[in-house]
Amino acid sequence: MALFEILEPGETRTKEACATIPVGIDLGTTNSLVAVVRPDSETGAGKPRALAVDEGSTLLPSVVSYAGTGRPVVGRAARRIAADAPRDTIVSVKRFMGKTSADPETRRLSPYRFAEGESGTVRFEVRGRAVTPVEVSAEILRALKQRAEDQLRLEVHQAVITVPAYFDDAQRQATKEAGRLAGLEVLRLLNEPTAAALAYGLDKRSQGTFAVYDLGGGTFDISVLKLVEGVFEVKAVGGDSALGGDDFDRAVAELLLSEMGRPRDARLVRQAIDAAKAAKESLTRMDRVEVEIEGWKRMLTRDEMERVIRPLVERTGPPGRRALKDAGVPEGKGLDGVILVGGSTRVPAVRAYVRELFGMEPLADIDPDEVVALGAAVQADLLTAEKPQHDVLLLDVAPLSLGLETMGGLVEKLIHRNTTIPTNATQEFTTFADGQTGMDIHVLQGERELVQDNRSLARFRLSGIPPLPAGLARVAVTFQVDADGILSVTAREQLTGVSQSITVKPSAGLTDEEIERMLLASIEHAEEDVQARLLIDARVEAQRILKAAEQQIENNGDLLAPEEKQSIEKAMQALREAAAGQDHRAVQDAIQRLDHDSAEFAKRVMDRGIERALKGHTVGEFDQGELSEHAKKAYSALGEDTRGMASPKGGR
Amino acid sequence: MPESPTVCWSCGAARAPSDALCPACGKVQPPPPPAGVLDKFAVLGLPRAYEVDERGLDEAFRALSRKLHPDRFARATPRERRFSLEQTTILNDAYRTLRDPVKRAEHLLALRGVKVAGEERGGSAAMPQEFLEQALEDREKLLEAKMEGGPEAVASLAEGVRSKRQEAMDEIASALREQRPTPAQLQRTAQLLARLRYYARYLDEVEGRAAEI
Repeated sequence: MALFEILEPGETRTKEACATIPVGIDLGTTNSLVAVVRPDSETGAGKPRALAVDEGSTLLPSVVSYAGTGRPVVGRAARRIAADAPRDTIVSVKRFMGKTSADPETRRLSPYRFAEGESGTVRFEVRGRAVTPVEVSAEILRALKQRAEDQLRLEVHQAVITVPAYFDDAQRQATKEAGRLAGLEVLRLLNEPTAAALAYGLDKRSQGTFAVYDLGGGTFDISVLKLVEGVFEVKAVGGDSALGGDDFDRAVAELLLSEMGRPRDARLVRQAIDAAKAAKESLTRMDRVEVEIEGWKRMLTRDEMERVIRPLVERTGPPGRRALKDAGVPEGKGLDGVILVGGSTRVPAVRAYVRELFGMEPLADIDPDEVVALGAAVQADLLTAEKPQHDVLLLDVAPLSLGLETMGGLVEKLIHRNTTIPTNATQEFTTFADGQTGMDIHVLQGERELVQDNRSLARFRLSGIPPLPAGLARVAVTFQVDADGILSVTAREQLTGVSQSITVKPSAGLTDEEIERMLLASIEHAEEDVQARLLIDARVEAQRILKAAEQQIENNGDLLAPEEKQSIEKAMQALREAAAGQDHRAVQDAIQRLDHDSAEFAKRVMDRGIERALKGHTVGEFDQGELSEHAKKAYSALGEDTRGMASPKGGR
Repeated sequence: MPESPTVCWSCGAARAPSDALCPACGKVQPPPPPAGVLDKFAVLGLPRAYEVDERGLDEAFRALSRKLHPDRFARATPRERRFSLEQTTILNDAYRTLRDPVKRAEHLLALRGVKVAGEERGGSAAMPQEFLEQALEDREKLLEAKMEGGPEAVASLAEGVRSKRQEAMDEIASALREQRPTPAQLQRTAQLLARLRYYARYLDEVEGRAAEI
């Protein structure tokens, strides 16, 4: 066979000759990228490279539109549809990964219509069907896979996908599931800052301790790593999973809107945010820029913008300082460099703050938009190649502590944050009642003392404990965290050896049946199933709206004249009656009516809210989850656009 | 087929139960069966001693990680992947223990069969009454200083506890340097280690406040 393999001079037979190639994927809030490592045809050295996958750009906007009748549309094409079909076009889906519909984050950003899932998972209602964040993310991954295949003329089956270091177990599981759904074998979930450090470390062949400051559209991550002889050891991670460039845009938009003083509606708010974003981008290069919204004009200086966003930028300080302390380089003493990642680090005020925080000039010579995907590609090559292009090893940590509920609603930590993974820990528990034969195991993630303040990952019951006097039976609970940062838990009764074990399927994850159903893509339900589901969904929606209306009347009832209040309450009563019936259309109609009758009230509530917000709070902070439809629409505009900053072409 | 702790599962060569890799063929081996306290010094190939050369420790950890980490077995058989996960878990734990002087001292005592009173079960019952009273008093003073005294008062209290901690550490180190420490010495060391937990918690409280600012 070898005789027939004729190679070009200088070309060696490598993985290239196979028809498949592993890729690195940065599945971002704002943009997603795919990168590969291919040997340079001249030097033979492997360099990671991001692929141009969307209209010539390496950035694929993380936007999926279900507005059309065919397959979902992804990227810039989807973004163009977004304005006309805001509900059927999902933007910033990453913010919903691993979240339940009850999560504050879900409520904060509610441009969409939600349906209740079997396992409490968030579901967007798009064109008469429900899709989960996992499915939406899978569409993005599928698009990246397809476009990479077309461009490289190679098949793509395996990928390293990056996640924010601060992603919890539920969010990691959801990301992995999305990969699976897109037909990818997920070789590894890699923390984004670690990926960035990998790209930098290889580029510069440096040694020492580095901090990675990653401020994207929606999340802030900080990691401190030590690089010695090709081993990248993560020392500490921290961050804020709800802080990013989008918040800057909202803050500037609030300034603009309050000065305009016009009545706000969804469209105007949306325009203000777009204008704020554009201004922010211009002000990275210029000192002043003219902002125009529907004929209203204003000069905005960089100083003014910086004053507005300063408090937000400063919120990166405490997690940053904590990570430095945890890593043994307090206040940056002993730190060799700071790496900037994420589009929001282009903002000069952010760079200035980084300089202040770490006491040194940050590094930004690899495109902050691409650096994460490049690192992921390197890791994909490391994990699959017989002879990887680089001889390096990544040692990552558990980003958040893992523990168990103990008596009195307290958390006992088994694995502390920043522990190098893989790792395990065992704790023994004993029965507290005579003859007790079962024990509930409640697994939690987070740093707080009380159960209620942490993320609940799973609950399960160990049964079959032999009936013994209290305190005699001993149950050992073992946590094992693998190299992806995913947890499995085993509980074992020591006397009899009865044991139960689970890979933590977080409450926000999908049940196996749900995954199966999606994998089979069996969207066709029997007609009565559909009717039943529509009714359930309508009832859930009705309940949510009723609760919101009640709350608003209680909190802001003073904004209503008595007859206005009466008309709203009448509509509420009608909705209650409809929801008790069997006809989902009647429920929907009643919802519409209430929506219509409370529109003016919602507007007043929103105006009051924004007034308050401008007195020192952000729009996202106050109670928008419980507003009526009308107000939600307006807020949805505030939350919807999270594209972050565009990358200057060829910028490096 | 159960793996033998003394024979390589792959090539059948003889090996020691603590060998993570087969000395003959280099394949990753299952970890030793759980029996008593695992010697974490042996995991890193270091002598069992309180004094540890930090550089040597770091280097040993990196060298072993390169050989054992699951990333190195992404293409291997499920069995090897499992062994790699188990071995790396043990390695990470051993490194974490030996890097920290307090955990290292506790481990040395554990290897000699002496348990340090933990916080969980009846830990405080094992502490002398006067120490507990002192600890309580210290914490009250700290609370007072936080409420009224301001940062200087808090700092000076912390300084006092830090020097107590240092004294305890010094005494622990010298006891553990002994070739043949007496049972009384070991008990005394265990007690000092238990005290360190109180000091650590105290200082956390002080620093916790600093970190919030």
